[in-house]
Amino acid sequence: MDFSFTKKEEKFRAELRTWLETNLPEGWLEGKRDLPEDLDEYSRVLRAWQNTLYEGGWAAIAWPKEYGGRDASLMEEIIYHQEMVRVKAPPLINYIGIHMVGPTLIDIGTDEQKERYLKNILTGEEIWCQGYSEPGAGSDLTGLKTRAVKDGDRWLINGQKVWTSFGHVADKCFLLTRTSTHPEKKHRGITVFMMDMDQPGVETLPIVQMDGQSEFNEVYMTDAVATDADIVGQVDSGWHVLIALMLHERTGIGAELFTLEKQFNDTVELAQQYKVNGRPLIENPAVRQKLANFYARVRGSLLNYYKNLTTTIKNGQPGAETSIDKLVVTELHQALSAFAVEIQGHQGVLLDKDAVADPKWQHLFLASFGQTIGGGTSEVQRNTIGERVLGLPKDMGR
Amino acid sequence: MDFSLTEEQEMFRGHIRKMLDKFGGTQVAREMIDQNPQNLKKVYKTLAELGCSGINIPEEYDGMDLEALDLVPTFEEMGRSLVPGLFMETSALAVPILKKYATEEQKQQYLPAIASGEKWISFAALEPFNDFSPAGIHCTLQQKDGQYVLNGTKTLVPEAELADAFLVLVRTNQEDQEDGLSLLLIDKTDALNIEKQSSFDESKHVAKMEFENLVITQEQIIGEVDKGWTQLQEGLLYFNAALSSYIVGAMEQVVHMATEYAKIREQFGQAIGRFQAIKHSIVNMKVNLEIARSLSHYANWVVDTEEFDREAAVYSARTYATEKFIEVSAHNIQIHGGIGFTEEIDCHLYVKRARYYDQYLGSTPFYQEKVVASLGW
Ligand SMILES: Cc1cc2nc3c(=O)[nH]c(=O)nc-3n(C[C@H](O)[C@H](O)[C@H](O)COP(=O)(O)OP(=O)(O)OC[C@H]3O[C@@H](n4cnc5c(N)ncnc54)[C@H](O)[C@@H]3O)c2cc1C
Repeated sequence: MDFSFTKKEEKFRAELRTWLETNLPEGWLEGKRDLPEDLDEYSRVLRAWQNTLYEGGWAAIAWPKEYGGRDASLMEEIIYHQEMVRVKAPPLINYIGIHMVGPTLIDIGTDEQKERYLKNILTGEEIWCQGYSEPGAGSDLTGLKTRAVKDGDRWLINGQKVWTSFGHVADKCFLLTRTSTHPEKKHRGITVFMMDMDQPGVETLPIVQMDGQSEFNEVYMTDAVATDADIVGQVDSGWHVLIALMLHERTGIGAELFTLEKQFNDTVELAQQYKVNGRPLIENPAVRQKLANFYARVRGSLLNYYKNLTTTIKNGQPGAETSIDKLVVTELHQALSAFAVEIQGHQGVLLDKDAVADPKWQHLFLASFGQTIGGGTSEVQRNTIGERVLGLPKDMGR
Repeated sequence: MDFSLTEEQEMFRGHIRKMLDKFGGTQVAREMIDQNPQNLKKVYKTLAELGCSGINIPEEYDGMDLEALDLVPTFEEMGRSLVPGLFMETSALAVPILKKYATEEQKQQYLPAIASGEKWISFAALEPFNDFSPAGIHCTLQQKDGQYVLNGTKTLVPEAELADAFLVLVRTNQEDQEDGLSLLLIDKTDALNIEKQSSFDESKHVAKMEFENLVITQEQIIGEVDKGWTQLQEGLLYFNAALSSYIVGAMEQVVHMATEYAKIREQFGQAIGRFQAIKHSIVNMKVNLEIARSLSHYANWVVDTEEFDREAAVYSARTYATEKFIEVSAHNIQIHGGIGFTEEIDCHLYVKRARYYDQYLGSTPFYQEKVVASLGW
């Protein structure tokens, strides 16, 4: 057992730290971290940040060097996430491009596709979104109805996507479509297109979320156009492409765990500073004992992640047990932010300028409800763990 | 970074598991319900032969001088089969205290005998109607006519009938509210008044001990007088790290039982493990197990270091393990249906042990307060 970092890893951390100190937006480290409300301005600032990362060689550290990455090890990725959480770095607007689409193209894209897309992903020139979910296809994506039909030397796409994160700022969409029908084998006949979002046949309508934000969208396609060159993998083999893409999400959960840990430390601070009847909350045994309980759960989930990471490093690939990490971190996020609001008593519901502590708590609480749904619901995760890790029999109909 | 047990540690686990399987797993615990300790004694003899009892004892006292982490496979495997007896009290409580606070003579007297498996030590701390805190210790050691005498009652002393000696927590100073206690090591003699108690966890024997003017010599006092509670904390760290391992082993067996049963038991034309109410319940058990395991492995690593979270890590491993052990062992009964409620199948053994340990040497809030204190909140 060894929790130390190697000299090389420490050097990597120091290099990133130094770089961040000089390259984060003006005043960021001192606490000037407000992002513009206006959407265009917001996306301009974040694209600029991504381009800064690119120029420093920090945009996609896990990519191979030949495509503009650093060939980073898993441990270096972990350090990267730790440091980004530590300085509360601005969000990566092209998260989907960097962590999902890019690695998939590097893996199975054609040379032309790599040439055409990879650099623009790195620089933030082209922002990506993922178009999977539809009104009739959520946990069961095989129910998707968006159709792509060959029309001469182009494809015409018709249908609707929903819950498309970043859709309103995206230039490109990694789009799941149906190209042929196989009622018995619904995984067949799906094709992935890289679709232009900026064209007459595509309309994007933001959806107002329960936390007041509009980060996801409806996307309507009416004779939207794509070409053969936009297909990832083969026609009708989109399911394999999707699986390949999911396997590339190497350390995203790590980043979420470090954020959770940070949030936990902030909750302790909240309990130390927030006073009721003139006394800090932490002096209330019921509050501090619950905090101790959260401490065990947060540390436990982080350590469990390290345990699975160790296995991944040893075996060269993640095992099925990593599905436990996503379930645990999202449910814990939800429980912890509810707790942070709960201990504020009747004032806990006050929002923004009326909030009596940091207004982020109310927003984290509201946003946390999306976490156990997006990226596969907790119920679906439990099915996966039950079937893949424990070997229990599969659900009917699947 | 490498957060895993070594190959040697895993190999050692294999030996222990094979040995315990040969004794029939939980059969040893079941025989204790029938007051038959013959196989338990054999198990302990074999554990000693395999070197387990000397793992964390220095070489100069005939041990192997290894660390808490090297005991983890043994504790996990014992937990799997719910092996009772005094292994944890001896190796993870008495040994760390002796190593740190005993005189050279006391070490000579006990450590080699523990390493060879000749001496097993029980722990007499708890008292009737009192909690596990300095205020709860009334059993008193007084100086009378130039000698020490001990008076008072201890309850829930584990496996007293098998013990060769007792670590006893006594009050030596009436004024000191924070401590004022001392630790004694008393060999078993006929002069001791030991009375078996019946507990619903019948495979884990407990007894009441009454002391009436028992004469104690200076040589039986371990460490500094009036500092017993403080010194005990060091032992409790090791004990609770070990306990979390034992529980992880037990939880693993519980999850295994539930999973295997859900695969073979059919109702409504399908294996019950296909029903999500069952499947998701077992998944929750598995998740709790894995988190408990990660916490306990870390606890057993950190306890031999000087990391800032040494205490917090151990105590949170203990509270998480005891709390979740109750939960998973209860779900296991539900998943088994009617047969889970019988004496015949092992389910009940685990839920009873879970309850016993949850309430042994301090409750969940007690240890949560310790986490709070150790992190300086
Ligand atoms: C914040 C957020 C961001 C998102 N971003 C994107 C995005 O960028 N692109 C995209 O394509 N999608 C995105 N989604 C959509 C997300 O992937 C889906 O919401 C999710 O997969 C669930 O699908 P659904 O909403 O249709 O719910 P449903 O599938 O209808 O589920 C409803 C309920 O039924 C349960 N259920 C369904 N199937 C089973 C089963 N087999 N066993 C047990 N219970 C079951 C679910 O767990 C849930 O509780 C996002 C969602 C959120 C919340």
